[in-house]
Amino acid sequence: MLDRQKFWRLFIASLPLQALGIGVLTTLLSAMLWSAAPATLTALDYTVYDTWLRHRTTAQVSPSLTIVTRDVASEERFGRGLWDRGILAQLIVTIHEAGAAVIGMDHRLDYASPAQLGGAASDALFLEALRTASPVVLIQNPDSLLQSDAAIYGHITVTSDLDHISRHIPPSIRIGTQTVPAFGSILSEIFHRHTATLPQSLSSHSDADVLINIVGDGSLTALQPIPLSSVWNAVERHDEPLLASWFKDKAVVIRSSPGGSETWLLPSNSTVDGLTAHLHVVNAFLNHERIDSLGWFSRFTVTIVLASLAAWSLLQFRGMMGLLLAGAVVVGYGALAAAMLNWASLVMPIVTPLAASFSVFISAAVWVNLTARQCLILLERDMIRIQQESAAVREALVLHEDRAEALQEDLDTAKAAMAFSADQQEELTRTTNSLRLQIAEAQGQEQDARRHLQELERQLGDLRAAGTVSSAIGNAELNRLQVEARQFGILTQDRSLLRLFHDVKKSAQSSLTVLLLGEPGTGKELFAHAIHRLSPRSGKSFIAVNMAAISPELFESELFGHTRGSFTGATGDRRGYFGLADHGTIFLDEIGDLRMDHQSKLLRVLQDKSFYRVGATTPTTVDIRIVAATNRNLQKGVSEGWFREDLYFRLNGMVFHLPPLRERTGDIPLLADIFLNQLAEQIGKPVPQLTNEALRALTEYDWKGNVRELRHCIEQAVTLNDGTLLARDLLRLGDERGQARGRTGQTVPDLAGDAAVLNCLRRHGFDMQSTAKTLGWDRSTVTQRLKGLCFQALVETSADQAKAALTIAGDSSHLRTVELKLMDYYDHLRSVIEPFATAEEALTDCKRRFKNLPERHFSSVETLVRRHFQQNRPVPRGQTQRA
Amino acid sequence: MTEIASLRRTVRLLPNDPDYRLQLAGALLRVGDLDAAVEECRAAITLQPDDGNAHLQLGLMLMAKQEWRAAASALGEAIRLEPDLSHAHYSLGSVQYSLGNVTAAVESYRRTLGLRPLFPDAHYRLALLLRVTGRTREAAQHLETAAAGGVPQARLFLGNAYQTGQGVEKNLGLAIFWWMQAADLGQQTAANSLSKVRRQALSSESTKQRRVELQSALQIYRNTLWNDFPDISRPSEPQSLGKVLREQNRAEDAIPILLRECFALSEEAHAELATLYEAGWDQYLKPFDKTILSCFESTSADGFTPAKKILTRIYAKGLGLETNIPKAKAFLKGLPKQDTQSLFDELGLN
Repeated sequence: MLDRQKFWRLFIASLPLQALGIGVLTTLLSAMLWSAAPATLTALDYTVYDTWLRHRTTAQVSPSLTIVTRDVASEERFGRGLWDRGILAQLIVTIHEAGAAVIGMDHRLDYASPAQLGGAASDALFLEALRTASPVVLIQNPDSLLQSDAAIYGHITVTSDLDHISRHIPPSIRIGTQTVPAFGSILSEIFHRHTATLPQSLSSHSDADVLINIVGDGSLTALQPIPLSSVWNAVERHDEPLLASWFKDKAVVIRSSPGGSETWLLPSNSTVDGLTAHLHVVNAFLNHERIDSLGWFSRFTVTIVLASLAAWSLLQFRGMMGLLLAGAVVVGYGALAAAMLNWASLVMPIVTPLAASFSVFISAAVWVNLTARQCLILLERDMIRIQQESAAVREALVLHEDRAEALQEDLDTAKAAMAFSADQQEELTRTTNSLRLQIAEAQGQEQDARRHLQELERQLGDLRAAGTVSSAIGNAELNRLQVEARQFGILTQDRSLLRLFHDVKKSAQSSLTVLLLGEPGTGKELFAHAIHRLSPRSGKSFIAVNMAAISPELFESELFGHTRGSFTGATGDRRGYFGLADHGTIFLDEIGDLRMDHQSKLLRVLQDKSFYRVGATTPTTVDIRIVAATNRNLQKGVSEGWFREDLYFRLNGMVFHLPPLRERTGDIPLLADIFLNQLAEQIGKPVPQLTNEALRALTEYDWKGNVRELRHCIEQAVTLNDGTLLARDLLRLGDERGQARGRTGQTVPDLAGDAAVLNCLRRHGFDMQSTAKTLGWDRSTVTQRLKGLCFQALVETSADQAKAALTIAGDSSHLRTVELKLMDYYDHLRSVIEPFATAEEALTDCKRRFKNLPERHFSSVETLVRRHFQQNRPVPRGQTQRA
Repeated sequence: MTEIASLRRTVRLLPNDPDYRLQLAGALLRVGDLDAAVEECRAAITLQPDDGNAHLQLGLMLMAKQEWRAAASALGEAIRLEPDLSHAHYSLGSVQYSLGNVTAAVESYRRTLGLRPLFPDAHYRLALLLRVTGRTREAAQHLETAAAGGVPQARLFLGNAYQTGQGVEKNLGLAIFWWMQAADLGQQTAANSLSKVRRQALSSESTKQRRVELQSALQIYRNTLWNDFPDISRPSEPQSLGKVLREQNRAEDAIPILLRECFALSEEAHAELATLYEAGWDQYLKPFDKTILSCFESTSADGFTPAKKILTRIYAKGLGLETNIPKAKAFLKGLPKQDTQSLFDELGLN
């Protein structure tokens, strides 16, 4: 399954593979077309060749070929039927003695001579003549009565094409258990062997058929044969010079048998017997004018290559350019076919490649339309993957930064020590150099990681730009999305939330598992409901389950159902939430609060889409869409061990982070207005108006409970309000300083204040370099400030690193980064104080080491050091990391 | 025709006598009236159905008519009636081969030889069949028997076998021997083969090795001739047997032996025969014997110089024929001048 997905992904991503696929398909299509009208298409396929054959300059008769054929005079002399083999024997011996290079004869050894034709004596003479003139090529017959080891056998079969025109001879055929070469092939091969020229036989080429290269109209007369009666007269006259002029060093073919009954129609419209066709081939071989055609495999390959090339042109260069290139490929092939015929005597296929290429034009267009959606899905998956990789690289960057900082501190310490100890100067110099090298290395690694991160971010940007991802959404689209979102109770005009809704809408069409992340009150259930209603399952049930609210004892019964009598109190069958949600959507809210044992049970359902009802013996299979939500950081849960990794990855199909209300303050006036109207209508009061001060207070408030908290706040104020104006004090927003966000810090940060530095760090995702650049500080100053804040947070949370990290991070978005930094700072502190026996000694060293730490934060260091020594059980380094 | 008319009258007078009908059929066959012969033969068989010879005769007539299946049937019936009729088996062999049944034909010839082991023609026929089916060794054995029995074709094929080593060990001397034996019986193909050997042995176009090989074979043949005359002591140096026989006045043996030696390119034999041609030999041979002249013309045509010189003398002097100087000169054409000058001078041809 996984391999298939991988293959599909590879296929969708690779244009050459797609082009090859289209090429193969269209080739098969053209092959099917061929089988529908084979005769017509064969004729079309050879149109070019047939025309060329008829209109080219006539081929010449080879001077190395002599054909002796029976004529009327010889028939009058020796009879009209079969001849006495004794005569043939004498003819063979005479031609051999005249110096023939090789002799061929259209004679078969498949009958015994009857008494009137000389009987066995003539047969024996004939066999002796064959032996004398060896090798003599005869026609192979499966039922040879006479045995001769001096004869070589060939076949005179001709292949008739599907349009009943004979253009080819097979290089060899099977007769019984023997493979018999073509008469023309073996004759010319022996001739070339005799004359020691390069052999050009059928067998030396491919196993494809050879085309008959005809002389004149392809008839026997065109080959200018010598009448047998003339030869016989010369033999009787002992006219040796004449015989030598005919036969010396030539390939001689004797046609002594009566004309064959089986005839073949040539492209020149001549009807000839098999031997005549083979004689034309021999002539072509002797003239080195062999014409070849491609075998079926080569034809198939050429067609695939051409079609694939055309398909690649269309896919690679869309539009007119692609059409032009594909057209050029087809035209180029036509020119190549013509050139090959003219110059290389090779007949290329015409109909199949062209039919396949034209099919490619249609197939490519259909393919592009069909796969556009698949490409989009893959693009989105790539985005998610790169986001995950980006997070991992961020973590690595944090570690490298910290390592550089720690080494810097070590360097500072070493420098200080160097100042105090002149004796150790040399040693310290070495240490300094070493540390410098390590710093350089760490900084190099940091730069690499930073570059990698930038690259990944660039890829992410590219992907966003390439897809139809939200950045391309215009104002009109946003308005439409706003109206649409309102239908699902999602009240917002925030662009980022609307973009997220846009993505949710697209993902709703698939059956991928969706994980909604966000703080309480950010509208996770509304989005879950929207996903269900926007999906093809909207007509089926939507079951929302709060996982935190389910009693652990009834977990299985509630979720999977039970059968009657399966436990005390089970008085009837119950279907369970998963059963109820069959064919619909199940919304698993607060999934992060699920116990570990329940997580494993849930995982099985998510994997198999089947489960056992309590008390049931057969599994129940369901078709459900899973939408899960949580306000907890599941990634952190995986790293801390309270959430199963496999379940996390199972849920991690499409992930949406719902932004908190404080990040979309533009929605607060809108929401406040809507809530005021709704609540006033509910309690029957006139709709009050918010004062400017009240509206500003609402906008500046932190809203940890998000929309839900905002609604409660307004509900409370409306209840208490009696007038038409709703003042700020009725909102009961508590201490303005403590609760409101430092909005001024966002624009002009208070350079001295820890809160301002922390806000700036949060905005820059705890990237030291960019934060330092914003603040105009040195990077190490920012690091020291964060380190101090981390120590302070550790003191406040009694060294609970998770809580301390959350305090610093502010929300879950950069929690992991802060956690890593905090762990590293704390581990470093402990590694520094580890060797000392008392807190005072350790503090002395710490003062020296952490001299750049702000003084107000050193008290936190002191507290942490003292706590460490009070506990009197040094925690081994690394345990924190593991925790 | 008188015989046929007489037999017809007899048959008319004695229509129920099968013997006369068979005689009439035989006479008709001899004149080529096959249909009438078959008709008479069938009538005789109707009168005497259990006569194997009548069926055999019918079979032979049908063979002459090339009605192979009918002939096979008649011969089969003859064998059924008289299983020991060897000629019926022999003829059936020929019929079976004409029908393409080579195995059956071989079987028939074997049965013939089983009944009549000294049947040279059956040996020859069987040898041919064995040869065309690739069993050359056995074929050679039967050819030897047939050749010894005097079948000219068998001698030819045996000579061919010794030439090519088919079924026997290659031996060109023996090949020449058997061809000579065949040629003695008028086998023209054998004479042609001998002529080819002579030409190749004398031709400058042949390789030296080939020439030496062939001349050596001819010498071996000439030596072989001594084997038939154990009473004559063989000289240490090669010598013409014919000349020795002539010296011993054994004319009946000397003349054929001299002719054979002449055909085998013996200069001594040529000289001896030239003398005999011109002068004759008492009552044994008249002067200007045509056989001797024909022998000289054969060897001369094959390029043997002594024969050319002898023929030049014969034609220049008009020995036994009209003087023909141009023809006489033509024999010396192409020969080295120093060889021919003395002859020119002697004959006054200059």
